[in-house]
Amino acid sequence: MQKVLFPVLTGLVLLAIWWGAHAAGAFPTGTVPSPPEVATAFGQEIRSGRLFDDIIASLYRVAWGFSVGVLAAVPLGLVIGRSLQTRAALLPWVNFFRSLSPIAWIPFAIIWFGVGDPPAIFILFIAVFFQLVLATSAAVATVPKIYYRVAEDMSLSPADVLFRVTLQAIMPQLVTALRVAIGVAWMVVVAAEMIAVRSGLGFLIIDARNGLRMDLVVAGMITIGLIGIALDLVFSRLTRIPSVRWGFER
Amino acid sequence: MSEIILDLSGVGFDYPGVKVIDELDLRVAKGELVVCVGPSGCGKSTLLSLLAGHLQPTRGTVERKGASRTIYQDGGLFPWLTVRQNIEQGLPRDAPVDSRAKKVADWLEITRLAEFAGSYPHQLSGGMRQRVELARALAAETDILLLDEPFSALDYQTRTRMRRELVATLAERPRTVVFVTHDIEEAVMIADRVLVLGARPTSVRKILDLPGDRSRTPASPGVAEAEQAILEELGLS
Repeated sequence: MQKVLFPVLTGLVLLAIWWGAHAAGAFPTGTVPSPPEVATAFGQEIRSGRLFDDIIASLYRVAWGFSVGVLAAVPLGLVIGRSLQTRAALLPWVNFFRSLSPIAWIPFAIIWFGVGDPPAIFILFIAVFFQLVLATSAAVATVPKIYYRVAEDMSLSPADVLFRVTLQAIMPQLVTALRVAIGVAWMVVVAAEMIAVRSGLGFLIIDARNGLRMDLVVAGMITIGLIGIALDLVFSRLTRIPSVRWGFER
Repeated sequence: MSEIILDLSGVGFDYPGVKVIDELDLRVAKGELVVCVGPSGCGKSTLLSLLAGHLQPTRGTVERKGASRTIYQDGGLFPWLTVRQNIEQGLPRDAPVDSRAKKVADWLEITRLAEFAGSYPHQLSGGMRQRVELARALAAETDILLLDEPFSALDYQTRTRMRRELVATLAERPRTVVFVTHDIEEAVMIADRVLVLGARPTSVRKILDLPGDRSRTPASPGVAEAEQAILEELGLS
């Protein structure tokens, strides 16, 4: 009950403050819309179907960027975590690229991938890839050596050790890293959709700003925030998988 | 004389700058239960790692006839697998699919864990976790069982019960066992032979043959004398 009631009450308080400040003339004209203006903008976007289309477009790009990022980063993180030489050779560079904002890649994204979804997906991939490589390799480095001795006793093959021991052992940390990564990817989608696309929630915000439609900007921001919460809820469910839950209950 | 299963000759092992084991000779016959006692940090666990093949000796030779499984003090179970899955993971890799479930069920029964087959290791008590370790190691049907202070984290009562269960299980399903412990009482209760190891670099300082079967009590013949001899050898009496 508290999990629903408290955030709703907090939201109502924030809404009241916003509304009261607007009514009191705290914001210069045209800088911050009122709640009813935002609600009207929401209504228009929903009725026209554009909001739904933009949500789908953004989710599509995030799904691709995130999935490709995970599929590339986790195996590389496993290798880096298990091999001292590979770690020594690659980890500083992973850290180097992780420190670069994904937005810095926008010029390359446009030159390499042109227009449409690919450059935006590439930016999202970059946002996910380097941080997940680092998180995975760090998790692998903490796997107790005793598991490998047991695996050696059992004569497990190298592939079995990697997938049935290492990957399983890091799963709780990996799930946490995936939660963070999907959050970052969703955060970066606005920047990714500033380039070479004409759909998505990021484009909605940029397009609205260009038209000085601050009501639409706020509607887009609220939509992004709500979907961010929903995505985190979905990923937090992964922690309930029995073979993952042990990491959160010990 | 029975067949020699483990044969260590002039074995030495060094970590960088540290001589851990030196000139260690040990022969263990088939079905024998040898317990190694020694001061803390003398290299008992290193000795087991050499026997298991996890480490290679710096000097000398280690000959082992057959595969081994090791039971560790704590944490050797895979926490992402249930009790049933952990035991199943221990079965020989070539065990037929149709007999695997039966074998697991048997070991769950033997170790009185059937009720907890679907539980995860962190949901069990320390004693129950060690029973799962025991079941997983024995289910492997290897010739050699290596135990690295398996009961030292348990309370006295559980430790005593576990020791008896181990002896009873080995009576039914014999294995060649090397058991490392710092608990002298534990050593003289169950061992066929006790090896007293010296301080680092460790070597065998004394060998005691224990009379009778493995279910001794403190009042059993030879137990008090053996304990006293070990204490003297370790400079503790």
